[in-house]
Amino acid sequence: MENKMGYNASFAEEVFRNVDSGDEIKMCMNCGVCAASCPLREHMDYPPRQIFSLIRAGKREEVLGSQSIMLCTSCYTCVVKCPRSIPVMDVMHGLAHYALKKGYTPRIEAARFGKEFWNQVYRRGRVDERDLAQRAYFAGGFWEGVKKILEFADVGIKLVLHRRMKLIPEKKIKGISTLRKMLDKAEMLDKGRSVQ
Amino acid sequence: MADVQTTNQSILVVGGGMSGITSALEAAEAGYDVVLVEKNPYLGGRVAQLYQYFPKLCPPNCGLEINFRRMRQNSKIRFFTMAEVANISGSEGNYNVTIKLSPRYVNDKCTCCGKCSDACEAEIDNTFNFGMDKIKAAYLPHEFAFPMRYVIDPSIVETEDGKKCQEVCEYGAIELDMAESTFDLNVGAVVWAAGWNPYEAEKIDYYGFGEYPNVITNVMMERMASPNGPTQGKILRPSDGKEVKNIAFIQCAGSRDENHLPYCSGICCLASMKQATYVRERHPDCDISIFFIDIRALDRLEDFYTKVQEDEKIQFIKSKIANISEDEATGNLLLEGENTRTGEQLRMTFDMAVLATGMVPNKIDIAGAPEVAADEYGFVINDPEKAGIYGAGCVRRPTDVASSVADATSSAFKAIQSIARR
Repeated sequence: MENKMGYNASFAEEVFRNVDSGDEIKMCMNCGVCAASCPLREHMDYPPRQIFSLIRAGKREEVLGSQSIMLCTSCYTCVVKCPRSIPVMDVMHGLAHYALKKGYTPRIEAARFGKEFWNQVYRRGRVDERDLAQRAYFAGGFWEGVKKILEFADVGIKLVLHRRMKLIPEKKIKGISTLRKMLDKAEMLDKGRSVQ
Repeated sequence: MADVQTTNQSILVVGGGMSGITSALEAAEAGYDVVLVEKNPYLGGRVAQLYQYFPKLCPPNCGLEINFRRMRQNSKIRFFTMAEVANISGSEGNYNVTIKLSPRYVNDKCTCCGKCSDACEAEIDNTFNFGMDKIKAAYLPHEFAFPMRYVIDPSIVETEDGKKCQEVCEYGAIELDMAESTFDLNVGAVVWAAGWNPYEAEKIDYYGFGEYPNVITNVMMERMASPNGPTQGKILRPSDGKEVKNIAFIQCAGSRDENHLPYCSGICCLASMKQATYVRERHPDCDISIFFIDIRALDRLEDFYTKVQEDEKIQFIKSKIANISEDEATGNLLLEGENTRTGEQLRMTFDMAVLATGMVPNKIDIAGAPEVAADEYGFVINDPEKAGIYGAGCVRRPTDVASSVADATSSAFKAIQSIARR
C-alpha cells in the first residue's frame, strides 16, 4: 500500500505487531542520542535512530537486510540514555530475530555462530570452543572454512597455549536431559505456545 | 517579632519574585491587605538575576523598580524578606499561618555605607552569581537590592569579623544578637508564587557539569553577561579566563527526558537564542552553535527565532548532544551527537558549553499543609474544588516573565474571590 511519497505504513504496523518490543518505536522523537552513544556506530550502516525512521518510512528491505540490527552487543548505553525510555537494545535484538525468521541474513557469520552456539549448549550443556569455531567456520562451505581457519590460526594457537581452548573434545554435563527439557520449554515459549 | 495585624480578609503571598510581587500589588491595589514573604534577603527573585528581559532585551531592573515603587506607595502591602512559611492550616477563608524570620543581623538603620563590608575579611560564595565569585560575609545581595540593606552571613556572627563589622558601623545598624523569630497570621487566601529552580545539571552525568569548568548552565550565563556579574559582562571561560571564540548551547539539558524532566520547559529555546545575542554583542567574532531536538518558538515569538537564524555567526544544528568530554590540556570540550538532518556522526570542539537546563517548580513542601492539586510533574493546578490556595507563575507551568505576570494577576483575582465568597 504505497503512497506517492513512497511511504509504507504497513511495514511499521508489521513491526509493531510482530517484533519483540517493536511497538516501543512509536515513542522515538528522533533525537539521535542512541546513534551517538553506540560503541559500534562506526560499523553500522544505519544507527538505531535511522533504523526507526526507516521503519516509519516503510523501508522493509533496508531494515531487515541491515547489518546494524545484528551488531548490538547489549552494552545498554542507548537504553540508559534514551530520553524516551525506549529499550533500544531490545528493539534491535527483536528486529534481528524477526529478520532471521523472515529469511534475511545480513550478517550471515553472526547468525551461523549464534546457531552453532545454541547447538553446542543443547548437545553438551557447555561450549567446546574448538568445535564451535570449526563448525561455524565450515558452515559456509569447505573453502571458506579453510580460509577462516588460516585467518584465525595465530589466535587459536595462543588460546591453546594459554589453556583457553582444549584440543580434546569437551564432555557432556551431568543431567543433560534435564537441561534439554528446559531449553525445549524455552523454545516453545519463544514460539508463543503455552507451556505446562 | 513582627507587628502584623491581619484578618480573614487578608491575603498571603508566598514568594517575592515577579509573580509574587504582581499578585501582591494587584490585590493590594484592589483594596485588600496583603502580606508578602520572601525567602531571600531581597525581592525580585530570578528576574533580578537576569541580564536582559525577553524578548525586548532590556535590563530587568527598571521593570522591577516600577513595581517596587508601587509597593512603597501602597500601605496595604507588608513584605518580609528572609521569611518562610513554617506552618499553614485551615481552609478557604480562614487560614492560620506561621511565618519564620531568619536573622539578617542588620536592622533598618542601615544606610548601605559599606563600612562593615570593608572591615570584614571573611569571604563567602556569592549565591547571587551561582558561586562563580566570592563576596565579603557582610554584603549587599546585589547593587539593585530591594530592600537596600546589608546582610551579615551567619558564619561570621560569632567571630572577630562580626565584632569588627559592628564596631565600624556608625549607625548602630548591626545587631549580632538578632535571633530567628516567628509570627502568626490569619488570612483568607494564599497565593503560592514560590517560583522555580533550575534543574540540577550534575544529574545529567554525560555532560560533565561540575566536573568540567567550561560547562556552565543558562542561569549562570545570565550572570556572566550582566555588567554587575562575576566577569563584568564578558563571556570568559571559567577554566582560564580566556575570551570565548566558539560556544555551544545545548538545548533540552534535562528537559524532555524521561530520566530527568519528562516535560518541555518551554522557555529554554528562546532563552538560549537570547543568550546567543549576548555573546554576539560582547564578542562579535565568536562562533555560536545551538544544538536542539526541536525548536519551540511559539506564536509571535517565532519572529525572534527568524531574526537569530539570519545571523551568519549563529548556526542551528539538529542534534541532541549525547556526550561531552574534556581535553585536559586545553580545557576544550568535545561534543558528540548525531546530526539528525544529515545522519552524520557529529564531533565538534568548543571553548565553552551552556546547558539549557529546565525549570523545576517549587512545590508546597510544608508538613500538614492543606492539599493543593498538582499535575504529575508537581506543577500546581488551580482546582476550583480545592479553592483557597492558588499557584501563580512558574509553580503553575514553566513560562516566561510576561506570562507569569498575567498568571499572577489572575491568581490575585482568584484570591480576592475566595475572600468575597465568605
